[in-house]
Amino acid sequence: MAACSKRLDKFIVSLRLLRNLQVQNERSISTSLCRWASENDSETPNFVPPSKPVIIDKTQAAATMRKFLSPEFIPPRQRTNPLKFSIERKDMIRRRKILNIPEFYAGSILAVSMADPNATGKINRFVGICIQRGGKGLGATFVLRNIINHQGVEICYELYNPRIQKIEVLKLEKRLDDNLMYLRDALPEYSTVDPDMKPVPFSLTGEVPLNELKVKMRPKPWSKRWERPKFNIQGIRFDLSLVPKQMEHAQKWAQPWQEYDMLKEYDTSKLEQQILSEVQQEMSK
Amino acid sequence: MAAWSCRFLLQRGPRLISPRAAAESPVQLVGCVRTVKTTTWFEEHLTEDNQEYMRKSMAEEYRTQTAEKLNPLKDEPWQRHEWTEGSRRVGLVAVKLGMAPIWTKTGEKHAVTMLQVQDCHVIKCLSKEEHDGHTAALVVGGKNVSPFHRSEQQMEMFRNAGVPPKQKITTFKVSDNAIIKPGTPLYAAHFRPGQYVDITAKSIGKGFQGVMKRWGFKGQPASHGQTKTHRRPGASGPGGDPAKVFKGKKMPGQMGNMYVTAFGLKIWRVNTKYNVLYVNGSVPGHRNCVLKIRDTVLPTRGSTLLNPPFPTYFTEEEGDLAEDLYDDDLFIHTEPSLTLT
Repeated sequence: MAACSKRLDKFIVSLRLLRNLQVQNERSISTSLCRWASENDSETPNFVPPSKPVIIDKTQAAATMRKFLSPEFIPPRQRTNPLKFSIERKDMIRRRKILNIPEFYAGSILAVSMADPNATGKINRFVGICIQRGGKGLGATFVLRNIINHQGVEICYELYNPRIQKIEVLKLEKRLDDNLMYLRDALPEYSTVDPDMKPVPFSLTGEVPLNELKVKMRPKPWSKRWERPKFNIQGIRFDLSLVPKQMEHAQKWAQPWQEYDMLKEYDTSKLEQQILSEVQQEMSK
Repeated sequence: MAAWSCRFLLQRGPRLISPRAAAESPVQLVGCVRTVKTTTWFEEHLTEDNQEYMRKSMAEEYRTQTAEKLNPLKDEPWQRHEWTEGSRRVGLVAVKLGMAPIWTKTGEKHAVTMLQVQDCHVIKCLSKEEHDGHTAALVVGGKNVSPFHRSEQQMEMFRNAGVPPKQKITTFKVSDNAIIKPGTPLYAAHFRPGQYVDITAKSIGKGFQGVMKRWGFKGQPASHGQTKTHRRPGASGPGGDPAKVFKGKKMPGQMGNMYVTAFGLKIWRVNTKYNVLYVNGSVPGHRNCVLKIRDTVLPTRGSTLLNPPFPTYFTEEEGDLAEDLYDDDLFIHTEPSLTLT
C-alpha cells in the first residue's frame, strides 16, 4: 500500500510537471496514464496501442481512375492560334482546382447547386438528366432536364460559371446517343428524375455502364424529325411510332457520301493525349 | 519573269516628257506604249541551298534584333517626360486571337476579345513640322514578316530603326512629351485593366454586296405577283423636285475590308507573360488580323485615375509586374465560388 501510494505520489508529481511543461499532446498523456494503470493493475507485457482514427474525407469526391478528358478541352478545328487555347486551358484548370467537375456523359444524372440571389437560402439545387454537352473552352455548357410537377424543365448550366457551388454525379452512365434532345418528345417517364435521389455508387475504374434503353415516343408530330439519318439516333423505339414505309422515306435524306469525305475528318487522338497529359500534370500540382 | 506593263507618253508643247518629270506643269497624254517589266522574286535565281541559307540567316538576324532592347546603332534612350494634362501617348499594334467568356464578381457574364501584342516596335519619329504642323507622330509597326517580299524603300525604313520588317505600320498622333526613340519595343503592359481603348482594324471583307445585306433594306415580297424584283433597292429619291439622286445614296457596292473603329472598349485583364490584352466585347476583323489600339478619345472614359505608364511601359525601369493584371470587378478563377448575398 505504501509502495502504491509512493508510486501514486510520483505519478501525481510527474503529472504536475507535465502540466507545468504544458504538454499539449493529450494522447501521449492518456497513453502514459493507461501504461501506469496497466502496470499497476495487471502483469500484461504486450502493450496494445489505441486504434488510430481513420479519417474518411467525404468532401472531395474521389477522382476517376479512367483516362477521361472532358470534351471542352479539345479545341475545335479552326484557324486560331494554339496559344489562345493554351491560355484558356490554364484558366479552366485554375477553376477546376477550386470546384471539382466530375466525369459525366449525356445520360448521367447530375445535381447542381448554384448561388442564386432570389432563392431561399441563397443556393438553388437542381437535379436532372444531362441531355447535351456543348461548347468548347471556358464557355462549355451542359443541359439538365427534369419533370417537376408535370412540367418539363431544362436548365443550361455553364461548367465554369463562378456561381456554381457544387456538381454531383448521382448516377454515372452513358446512353446510345451523345445528344438526348429527343427526350422532349418521349413519354415523360423517361425524363423524370427524383429530386431527392440518393447517389448510386459507381466504380472509378473500368468501363462506364452503357444504358441500352430504347425510349418510347409520344405520337407525332415531334419537335424534330428524329427518324432522319442526319440525327443518327439509336435510342428510340421507332417500330412503335413509325411504319417501315415512313422509315424508308426518311432514308431519302441520307447522305452516304459524308462518311467518305476526307475533308471532314478531324483526328483528335494525338491532340487528346497531349492535352490529357498536360491537364493531369497541372491538376496534380 | 517578264510581265507586260504600260508606259504613258506625255507631251508638253512639242517635246515628249517622261512621267517622273511631269508632276509640276500641265502635261497632255499622247498615248501609251507596251513595255516589258523585269521583276524577280528573291528565290528565282538562287539555288535551293542558297534559298534555305537566306531564310535561316534572315530569321536568326531578326531574332537577335528583337531580343535586343535598344536600337543597336545609338545606345542611349531618349529622355522620358512626365505626364501633363492633355498629353497623348502612343498606342500599340496587336493581333486578334479570339474570344472568350469572362465573369464579374456579381456573377454577370461578358464576352471579351483576346489581343496579343506580337513584336511591336517604334519605327520612326516624325516631329511636328515633318508630320502636319500641329502634332508630332510616331510610326509603330506590328507582327514580324519576311523581308523577301518588301520593297527596298520599306526595308530602308526598317533598317534605320534596326528592327525586322513588320506586317502593319501605323502612325499615332502624339504630344511632344511622349515621343519615344525608334527601335524601342512596346508591350501589352502599356495598357492597364480598367482603361478604355479604341480599336481600329479592317473589317471582314464580304465583296460586292447587294443593298439588303449592305444597308439592311427590306427588299420586296417573294410572291404575290412580283416580277423579277425581290432584293432590289426600289426607289432612289424624292422625284421631280430635286430631279437627281443625292450624293451618298445607299446602293450596292463593296462591303467590308475597310477600316472600322470600335470606341470605348474596356480592358478587363492584361497578361504580361504572353502580352495578351482582354478587351470587352467584339472587335472588327477576323481572327489573326492585325489591329491598331489607342487610348480612347471619348471624354467620359478618360484614364487619368489609373496612372498608365507614360510615355510607355519599359521592362527595365518599371521592374516585374505580376503575370496577370486584373480589373477590380473581374472574378479570378483562383478565388472560391461566388456566393451572392
